[in-house]
Amino acid sequence: MSAAPVLAETRDLGKSYPLVFRSRDRLRALWHLLAGRGRAESVAVLKDVNICVRRGESLGLIGENGAGKSTLLKLLTGVLTPSSGSVTVNARVGALLELGAGFHPEYSGRDNIALAAALYGLDATEAREKLPEIIEFADIGRYIDEPVKHYSSGMVVRLGFAIVAALKPDLLITDEVLAVGDEAFQKKCVRWIEDYLEAGGTLILVSHSMYHVQKLCRQACWIKHGEVAASGDVYSVTQAYLAYQESKSATAAPDRHELLAQNPEFHLLDFSLNDGGVAPLVLAQGATLRARARVQSRDGRVPVVVFGIVRADGTPVYGVSSEMDGVRLQHESSNVYVAEIVFPELALLPGAYVVKAHPLDPEAIRLFDTLERGLTVSGQSREFGMVRLRHQWLNAEQPAQKVAVS
Amino acid sequence: MPAFRLALHFIRRDIRNRYLGSFSGGLWALVQPLIQLAVYGFVFVYVFHAKVPGADAPGYVPFLALGLWPWVAFSEAVTRATTVIQDNAPLINKVAMPRQVLVFAAVASSFLVHGVGFCAITLALRAFGVPIDLLALPIALGGFVQLFLLALGVAFVCAAVQVFVRDLAPALPQLLMLWMFASPIFYARDSLPARYQDWFSLNPFAYYPEQFRALLLHSGSSSVRAEAIALLLAIAVLACGLAVFRRLNPHFEDFL
Repeated sequence: MSAAPVLAETRDLGKSYPLVFRSRDRLRALWHLLAGRGRAESVAVLKDVNICVRRGESLGLIGENGAGKSTLLKLLTGVLTPSSGSVTVNARVGALLELGAGFHPEYSGRDNIALAAALYGLDATEAREKLPEIIEFADIGRYIDEPVKHYSSGMVVRLGFAIVAALKPDLLITDEVLAVGDEAFQKKCVRWIEDYLEAGGTLILVSHSMYHVQKLCRQACWIKHGEVAASGDVYSVTQAYLAYQESKSATAAPDRHELLAQNPEFHLLDFSLNDGGVAPLVLAQGATLRARARVQSRDGRVPVVVFGIVRADGTPVYGVSSEMDGVRLQHESSNVYVAEIVFPELALLPGAYVVKAHPLDPEAIRLFDTLERGLTVSGQSREFGMVRLRHQWLNAEQPAQKVAVS
Repeated sequence: MPAFRLALHFIRRDIRNRYLGSFSGGLWALVQPLIQLAVYGFVFVYVFHAKVPGADAPGYVPFLALGLWPWVAFSEAVTRATTVIQDNAPLINKVAMPRQVLVFAAVASSFLVHGVGFCAITLALRAFGVPIDLLALPIALGGFVQLFLLALGVAFVCAAVQVFVRDLAPALPQLLMLWMFASPIFYARDSLPARYQDWFSLNPFAYYPEQFRALLLHSGSSSVRAEAIALLLAIAVLACGLAVFRRLNPHFEDFL
């Protein structure tokens, strides 16, 4: 596979936009450019991006809005010129940027097909031959002869995708196409892309849908603030990205100094996962999780401890207290109690989670303190949700290597 | 070759688009300079009593027509090309393409339309009895091609600069108006005071009305030296225009 020819490659690719606020700046920029000098003030939107896509590969670009994904695509298609580094593309590129690339709103769908064909380098005869195929794939009925400005956004995407599909490019570069069309058309597109990849096509896809990225791409690249945050296998990269996303949306932990200053009845001395430190624990899917918390009791009363697991965005997954299970905590030294719990073969699906520990009073009514530790479960599962439930397929042939968990 | 096909596509689209919404269709291309000719002819002949100097001078209207048509082609080409990059920003921002094609198409479509108009008015004048040398018409069209090169060079500069400095497009009609009156369109070079006549050689457009009149009306004369200078000038302007356009081209999207 690694011997396949490189279709697209970037080396230390960077792009910065000039800071232009007033028209005087534009004049100055013009003067600088004509004189052959570089621009003074600019904002970098991409820095030192190195990616390499070989024939037959499929790369998913993921990242937050404004991270620079679309800029990278535009650089790859040649719409933008790099500010630093280089882009090499050795392929006929079919690009679908920001939906319905380059359609002129005043012209009919048919005219826009002709323009797209001319831009792609087809002559009139070739364009005429492709026309019925495009019209059939787009399936927008009489709208094909209407100006594009009368189209719904879904129809624009249909037409754009139909054109790209008919051109059968070596390298397909698309930006969020799958997000706009209706269910049926999305399926049609996904099926087309799958066939295209199977036939040896090469794909660079930008999507916010991790499902689509995981389904269509084997490699992924996470762009964060204009730089490559992670790249490689699609599962590890998408999971790292999702974990980051989830931890960003989680609420901040309360300030402990304030709490300790009040000298509460119970507070946590420490809390660890698998004897680790404060840093988030990375655990393989199905491994064993051990949580240990030490509680200081002001009056020497025996506390109740709750352990809870929430997803990184705060959605509760599971929680249990020593009181529920009828367990009495072990006394370590004067007024210090230890709670320890083991989850063998942890059922959590890959993703980012937070494990929480709370000391409660012996009556299990009042909650005094909270400590959290991050937990990342790694793995290559495409299952949905947070946990793997025990299941079994009935009346079905079981795959040879992987029998459902029983 | 694909760039040429693309250019043809844009030229076709431009010409079609221009007259698509109008009643008279392609006729409008002829009508518009005709109206100009009628207005200017009326004002200059009946109000100012303008006459072309010289013993065997042609009538004022044919004299004006042969200067006006090249100017309309030239000024319209430059005006349309100036905003062509800006107008096609949605396309430029999404599709990789040689942007020169857009400028080329805008200039070419103007010259095609008004080139046809020029032939038509020449034939019409002949039909009305103006002694026009029809055999020289193909040579005059060669001059039109040369004017096209000059216009293309100016258009490249204007289109590129307009992306950065938006003041150009609104200022252009005034600049072109000045340029028009600084060219021998309404008057012959000989009507000017002698000390201004030499300055005319600095105006790259000045050659063309004079050349067309010399060829078709045998009014005035053209020297091989003037022809060579005009050709070199047109090529030089085109080369400069292309150089400026090439230099600014990679930065268009930053300023569009």
